[in-house]
Amino acid sequence: MSPRPWWRKLGHGSLLLVATVYCVFPIYFMLVQSLKTAQEDVFGNPLIVLNPTFENFEELFQQSGESHGYVGRALRRSYPVLDWLENTIIVFAGSVAVTLVVSLLAGYALGRLRPPGFRWWRRLIFASYVVPHTILFVPLYQVIVSLNLENNLLALLVVYPTLAVPFCVWIFSAYFQNLPRAVEESALVEGASRLTAFFRILLPMSKPVVVAAGIFALGTIASDFTLASILLLDAHNKTIPAGLATMEVALDELLAVAGINLMAIPVVLICAVFARGYVRGLTAAMVEGA
Amino acid sequence: MGRARDIRLAYLLLAPALLLLLTALAYPVGWEVWTSLTDLSPVNDHPTSFVGLDNYRRLSGDPAFWRAAANTVAYAALTSAVKLALGLGLALLLARPFRGRALVFLAIFLPWAYPASVSVIGWYWTLSPPIPTAYSVFMGNMKYAVDGALGGGAWAFVSVTLFNIWRGSSFIGIFLLAGINAVPPELFECAALESKSAWRRFWLVTVPLLKPFLALAVFLALTTAFADLANVWMLTAGRIVYPVLGTHAYWLAIHGGQFGPASALSLTLAPFLLAVLFVLFRMFDPPDQERA
Repeated sequence: MSPRPWWRKLGHGSLLLVATVYCVFPIYFMLVQSLKTAQEDVFGNPLIVLNPTFENFEELFQQSGESHGYVGRALRRSYPVLDWLENTIIVFAGSVAVTLVVSLLAGYALGRLRPPGFRWWRRLIFASYVVPHTILFVPLYQVIVSLNLENNLLALLVVYPTLAVPFCVWIFSAYFQNLPRAVEESALVEGASRLTAFFRILLPMSKPVVVAAGIFALGTIASDFTLASILLLDAHNKTIPAGLATMEVALDELLAVAGINLMAIPVVLICAVFARGYVRGLTAAMVEGA
Repeated sequence: MGRARDIRLAYLLLAPALLLLLTALAYPVGWEVWTSLTDLSPVNDHPTSFVGLDNYRRLSGDPAFWRAAANTVAYAALTSAVKLALGLGLALLLARPFRGRALVFLAIFLPWAYPASVSVIGWYWTLSPPIPTAYSVFMGNMKYAVDGALGGGAWAFVSVTLFNIWRGSSFIGIFLLAGINAVPPELFECAALESKSAWRRFWLVTVPLLKPFLALAVFLALTTAFADLANVWMLTAGRIVYPVLGTHAYWLAIHGGQFGPASALSLTLAPFLLAVLFVLFRMFDPPDQERA
């Protein structure tokens, strides 16, 4: 083929530029605001920061319960952000782990062992996405109370996985279903148990799919804000999103935006590290079967 | 290795996932269905009574319901179509190798990876700044222009819609890229020899190859269209005046104490989503390659 003409290259390049700016600009904007002093936030150029400072982040971690100055006549409180951070890490790591284990087991059962009607089981699990979440938290709260998990982080470890499990079961079972039988057949013929074959052969092979499922679970769980605010009532017991929602944003706009970045940056870094694995895993699950 | 034992093992392994979903969904959904048939309300001074399909009957005669339903359908269809189109565009941009592809790929991945629970907070306060910041005049003017043209609350609704599209198109773009990556490059080369028209190639080669990915993406786009809206509704305690079914139901239940009609209202969408899902299942179910 002949080399592409310059105007095609230019077109492609400018499309790339537009796409990148479109995707990154809102994130850039929030990052810039979080690095500003109050002075610059009001009088500076909104698009850039001239004197970047971490004081908003430092202020986040000030001793909780103490006041820290005034805006006009309104007293500004500080918040137990360190507790929120710890809770967030526990809840996210725990929920992703629960999601992965539960979905791997179910995916293996449906894709590999294929009980009668396995397609319908899989469809049934996936169909739980049609349940409208609008006022579902009212009965859900009753369930949590009857499990004695009120105001307990464990409640989220029960509820969060249900947001990601249907998709993860789908991709695991599709992956295992597409894998040729021969993969573990020889091991099974030689007398290995299904368990050994799973851990020695299937699990190592499915690493990209595990990454894909894990990143999907993390992204989905990290996007919830409603459930966390409803199920965790105590001020010390909140995750970062639920906690930020209790802030007086009108008084603490810079603090809130620092809090946003505090949570977002680690999540984004994890996702970025596994981004390629995520795509590879989705490909493997949906078509290849390795 | 008996087949019977395998089947028993399969049910055993399936149990944790089913148990989890049953705990978090079965009772709540059952409650919602039952409540939609009663007049449950915390402000009742008489015991809750069974009213049959009255709530549904009343909805069908309520113009507010039809307005909310129309808004819902328009909102879901519009955001899903835009997300799909933008996502497909982003995926095709990344399809061929070029210098700096890894960076553009990461940039496109970012809106979805950036946790929506916090970005929605930032997004909302950025577009409707509460205090004098350097950008509040600009945003305020936008708000008045949009609200003035379309009615109060329109700007808030538009901003949530934009957020949903921004994040959703990123997810779909990356998801479809996974589909494009699965297509052997020779196939595209063959197609390029067969037909000169890029448009024809797109419809005859790319779209059919991506069908399972597109189908799954459509469904996820439809179901997630409302999640961000719910987030913002919670956050701003009812500043959104454009009712969609979800926010209307929330308003009825939490502010009006009318759990019966609210349950009926929020359930009305489920059968339609289910119907869509069953059409799409045919497209993204893994094909049977070998017999079990």
